[in-house]
Amino acid sequence: MTAILRLESGSLVRSSLVLAGLFALLSAFFFAAFPGFAAEAELIEEAFPAFLIGLLGFEEIHTIEGFLAGYIYPLVWLVFGGIYFAYVSAGMIAEDIATRRMDLTLSNPVSRESVLVEKIGALWVPLVVLNVGLFAVVVAGVTLLDETVDLADLAMVHLLSIPYLLVCAGLGIVLSVVLERVETAQAIASGLVFVLWLAEGVGGLDDGYEWVGAVAPSRYVDPSAILVRGEYAFADAGVLFVAFLVLLAVAVAIFTRRDI
Amino acid sequence: MAAIELVELTKRYGETTANDGVTFDVDSGEIFGYLGPNGAGKTTTIRLLLGLLKPTSGTATVLDADIRDRRALTEVKSRLGYLPDDLGFEERLTGQQVLDHFARMRGDQRRAELLELFHPPLEKPVETYSHGNKRMLGIVQAFMHDPDLVILDEPTSGLDPLKQDRLHQFLEAERDAGTTIFFSSHVLSEVQRVCDRVGIIRDGEVVALEEIGSLLDRSGKQVRLHLAEPIDDSSFLTDEMVDVELVDSTIQFTYTGEYNALLEQLTQYDIVDIDITNPQLDDIFKHYYGPGQSS
Repeated sequence: MTAILRLESGSLVRSSLVLAGLFALLSAFFFAAFPGFAAEAELIEEAFPAFLIGLLGFEEIHTIEGFLAGYIYPLVWLVFGGIYFAYVSAGMIAEDIATRRMDLTLSNPVSRESVLVEKIGALWVPLVVLNVGLFAVVVAGVTLLDETVDLADLAMVHLLSIPYLLVCAGLGIVLSVVLERVETAQAIASGLVFVLWLAEGVGGLDDGYEWVGAVAPSRYVDPSAILVRGEYAFADAGVLFVAFLVLLAVAVAIFTRRDI
Repeated sequence: MAAIELVELTKRYGETTANDGVTFDVDSGEIFGYLGPNGAGKTTTIRLLLGLLKPTSGTATVLDADIRDRRALTEVKSRLGYLPDDLGFEERLTGQQVLDHFARMRGDQRRAELLELFHPPLEKPVETYSHGNKRMLGIVQAFMHDPDLVILDEPTSGLDPLKQDRLHQFLEAERDAGTTIFFSSHVLSEVQRVCDRVGIIRDGEVVALEEIGSLLDRSGKQVRLHLAEPIDDSSFLTDEMVDVELVDSTIQFTYTGEYNALLEQLTQYDIVDIDITNPQLDDIFKHYYGPGQSS
């Protein structure tokens, strides 16, 4: 049974391409700023408040690796990418129920489990499009600036952040099976991803908020560690992947028990 | 053998009881009319049968699968067709793509044959469809996998009279070929026209379960007459006229007798205007089942 996977995948193509285009545009702005930025890096690091440096994870910001890991990946990838995955997933079930599409879907010989899993499975489309898109944009940008970056490290940034994006999707799909209103589910899901990312950045500085930082998915993905220090945190990625599976299981458990 | 069996099926939402101990059988190979005013609980029953809602108490079987057994119910859905009252298609897809999508899940061996009877503009996106076109697309998807049981919720709404007739004829042919049809409607005349048996639901309760013939006999016709001269009620009225309202030269009543007798009687009068219509469902309820909580 792949009819739903197929339909849902098709519906994600356009938004994935649009977002990849936006990522390219945003990255172009960042890259344009890099030469001036590298020259003034010390001044900027002094001028920035400490929490902002912690938030973006600045390290070696005058190098292209530090710049990528401190600006482009945290903002473009973890924030906007995360919000997109949460937002799209939050609409998956809630919208079908609201428009009565789910009635027709479930009149077919398909279980609710398979409906939900096939819908989440369709996220392979944005995963491929956005990863390939941003990777290409970054390589192009770095080349245009006459800099070089370790391609294996760069690929690893993408690979190890896939579980992070899936966790964002997991948050979205849980909200999608719980909440009635599509807009509410989408707003809460994207807000949650942003707030958790923010809290994790702040939590690194303040003792009282450490617990928030520990549950924030962005804690377990660190572009700086990979690009600047060449450290691959496979265990952290594993934590995120398990968290995604748990969220998916919770969503299935709720969805199979609720009235539609 | 029963295609659908409901036993004390009940669904409550807090204080509201949408279905209250609903009990009846739908036999294999019949067109069963499920008749009731809007909001009576017809759609709730259907959504319970499809496993979209969980019963508060009681249960039902659909093609021998208990609706509380999700796995069994999912399995029999390959032999089930469903036309919802509110058609939730993927609007950006064309009609063709919508049918392709459903075909992948349960087959479409009768698609071409159905598209000769009902022809929505398949090459256009569903978002541009009129109500009637959406309904036709819905009918095609409900029947194209040649199901044993089809559940139709207000199937003629949005269809023009010609298409309604075509659907009625089609349903009779399907019934004769052995398909069981569960036909939910708030329109008495169409239930009378196509159904073999009828269950009447009001305020969540099944208030009557009859052969269509006996319902026909009891429902009568609504007659409104405007005569050239004031009417003398003692000479005009017969026992077959009930619920009479007479104002000067205008009279309105429900006629429950033989039609020829009425027409013969009317030839003796100078008639300015006449209306003979099917009574409203609500009127029938008032006559035969007492006033409801909501009316």
